[in-house]
Amino acid sequence: MKKLLTPEELARDDRFERADMMDRIQDPRNGSEAANRGNGRLRPDRADAPDAARALMHGIFVGEIQALEGAGRTCYDFEVGATGKLDDEEVPFELKLDMARQCWDEARHCEISVKLSEWMGTEIGEFGENAFLFQAACNPDPVLRLTGVNRALEGLAIDVFNTMKEFGDLAGDPVLEFCEDWMLADEVTHVKMGSDWLRKLTVNDKDRQKRALEFQRVVDKLFSFGGFRGEDEESPVHLARRFRELAGFDDAEMEEIAELSREAKSEVEERSRLAREANETASA
Amino acid sequence: MADSKKPRAPFAPWDRRELPGAFSVEETAARVGQYKWIEMKLFEALGGWVATVPELDIKMRLGTHCYHHAWHADLWHKRLPELREMNPERLTGPASPEVEAFMDAVAEPGEHDQTIEKLVGVYRVLIPHKVAAYTYHLNNTSTITDAPTIRSLKFALQDEMEDWRDGTLMLTSLIQSDEEVQRAADHQAKLEKLLVAAGGICGPGTIGDAYDLSGDPARLTVA
Amino acid sequence: MPTTVDPSTFTMVDFDSAEIAALADELARKVGLGDDVQIVIEVDETTPLGRTELVSLDPVHIRTESGAFENPKRIRQFSEDAATDVLGRYLLRAADRRRDGFGDVPPDSELTVPQRTAWEVSAVGRLARLGYPVRRQRWLYAFRNRYGFTDTADDAFEQLWHGDDLSWAEIDRLSETTAATNPGPLQR
Repeated sequence: MKKLLTPEELARDDRFERADMMDRIQDPRNGSEAANRGNGRLRPDRADAPDAARALMHGIFVGEIQALEGAGRTCYDFEVGATGKLDDEEVPFELKLDMARQCWDEARHCEISVKLSEWMGTEIGEFGENAFLFQAACNPDPVLRLTGVNRALEGLAIDVFNTMKEFGDLAGDPVLEFCEDWMLADEVTHVKMGSDWLRKLTVNDKDRQKRALEFQRVVDKLFSFGGFRGEDEESPVHLARRFRELAGFDDAEMEEIAELSREAKSEVEERSRLAREANETASA
Repeated sequence: MADSKKPRAPFAPWDRRELPGAFSVEETAARVGQYKWIEMKLFEALGGWVATVPELDIKMRLGTHCYHHAWHADLWHKRLPELREMNPERLTGPASPEVEAFMDAVAEPGEHDQTIEKLVGVYRVLIPHKVAAYTYHLNNTSTITDAPTIRSLKFALQDEMEDWRDGTLMLTSLIQSDEEVQRAADHQAKLEKLLVAAGGICGPGTIGDAYDLSGDPARLTVA
Repeated sequence: MPTTVDPSTFTMVDFDSAEIAALADELARKVGLGDDVQIVIEVDETTPLGRTELVSLDPVHIRTESGAFENPKRIRQFSEDAATDVLGRYLLRAADRRRDGFGDVPPDSELTVPQRTAWEVSAVGRLARLGYPVRRQRWLYAFRNRYGFTDTADDAFEQLWHGDDLSWAEIDRLSETTAATNPGPLQR
C-alpha cells in the first residue's frame, strides 16, 4: 500500500459525489448581493433551520469520514522512531496509539452521524462532499499534520458541535443534543492530543513549532469559510470559547482565531464587491 | 462465620493454578516483543486501509478494529519492561525475515477494489493465527508467575474473536461470485504459504510442536 | 395554458427553462390547477440561495432563487427532485388558496413559520400520494422542530400528512393545538 494519499484518492461508494472547490469559488452567482445576504446564526426560528441543520449535519458526517481517514493514514504514513532521536518523517509509538484511538473515535462519530442523518431525514451522499478537510491531513510533516488537523480542524469541530448542540437544545431535540454532547467530548480530547504532541515534538525545535503554528493559522483561516465560523451574531457557527478552554486554548489563541475569522470574512466581502463591480461593468 | 484465625490452604480447593510454565522470562519477552510488532503492523495497515475502502460500513469497522490492535500493541509494549527488557524497541520486531515478508504481504493490497484481499489477509489468515499463538501461549505459560501476560492475552483474545466474527461477516457479504470465491482463496493460499515458510507468526514453535511425543512442555521446563 | 419561465435562457446556471416549464405543467395538472390557469416561474439565477415565494394567484406567479432548483451534489446543475419538491409545494399552495375552505388564509407574509410548516407537510403528503418522490422523515424532522419532539406532534404530523381535503381552518387548528403542547427547549 502506498504512503501519503491525496484527497482525490479517497475511496467512496456511488452515493457520494465530490464537490470541486474551484467550482464554488468561481460560481458567477457569488458576486450578487443576495448571495451575500447570508442566513445568520443557525437558530430554530429561522425559516430554513431544519434544512440548514440537515445540510450542516451532512457536512459534519463527511468531515468525520475524512477525519477517520486522516487519523488512519497518520497511523500508516510514518515510521516509529525512538523518542528524542526522531527525524521529520518519524513519530513516537505513543503518537500512533493516539491516532489509532482517534480512528476509533472518528469511526463512532461516523456511526453517530449516520444515525443522526436518518433521524433528520437526510440521505447518505445527499449533498456534495468537499475533500479539503483531508487536504490538511496530507501534510508530509507529522507535526504540521497534527497541528493542522488536531488543533485547527478538531478545534473547528468543537465550534460546530457546540453550535449544533445549542441548536438541538433550543429546538428541544433530545437526539441531536445527546449526540453532539458526546461528540463534543471526544473533540476536546483530540485537540488536547494535538496540543500535547506539538509541545513535545517541538520542544527543541522552535523553527518547526513556528511552521506548525503558521500551518494551523492557514487552516484556521481557510476553515473560517469567510466568516461562517466567527464571533459575529450573523456567523452560523460560533467560537466555543468554554470548550476550547477545556481543550487547552488560551485567550490569546482564541482571540487570534476570532481575528482570522474576521479577516476571512472581510476578504470574502471584498472579493464579492469586486465580482459585483465586474458583473456591472460587463452588463453595462 | 468460621473462626477467622483458623488456618486455610493458600490455594483454596477451587484454585487449581500451577507453577510450571513453558516459557522463561527471556522467552516470554521475546514473544511479547513479536506480538507487539505484529499488532503494530496490523493497526497501521488497518488505519491506512480506511481511506482506500469504499464500502462505508467496512471503512468504519476497520477504524474501530485499528484501535483494538493498537491497544494490544500498547499492552505488550508496557509488558516488556516488566519482563526485564528496559528497551522495548530492542525486542519489538518480527521473529524472522519470513514473518516480516508475511506481514508485508498482508498489508500490500492498497487499491479500492481490493477490499476482499484486505479482509482475507486479516480475518482469514492473520487473526486466526494470532488466536492460535495467543491461545498456545495462554495455555502453556505459568498461571502463577506469568499472570500479567495471561490477563493481557485474555483481553486480546476477546477482541480477536469479536473482530474475527466481524471480519467474517463483512467478507461473507462481499464474496458473491465464483470469481470472488477464487480471489479470496488465492490470496489466502498465498499468505498461508508465506506463514508456513515462516513457521507461524512467531516463527517455528509458535504453537509448539504437535508431533513432539516427549510430554507436556510446561512440565518439562520446571522439572 | 403553458407555463412561462423567466428567464427563458439561463446564463449563470445550467438550467433549461423548457424542462422547468414541462415539470410545472405536469405538477399543475396533477395538483388540480385548471388548464386555464396561467403559471409564471421566475428564477433569480444571480443567487445560489433558495428562497421561494408565491407572488400572486392570477397568474400563479412563483418567484424563486436558483438554489431552490439546484442539485445539492453538483453546483449550478438542475435537480428535478429539488424542483419538484419546491414547485409541487407552491403549486399546491396556490391550488389550495384557489379552492373553498382557504378563503380565510392570511397572506403568506403573515403566516408564522409553524403555520407554513404545517401547510407544507399537508402539501408534501399529497405529493407523495401523487407518486412523487418525497422524504417523509425530512418533513417529520422539520415538523418536530416547529411543534416539539413529542408524540402529540407526531400524531398531528400524521393527520396533516394523510389528510387529502383539509381546510385551512383544520390545518390552523391542528397547528394551534399542537404548538400549545410544544415543551420548547430541553430542560437539562
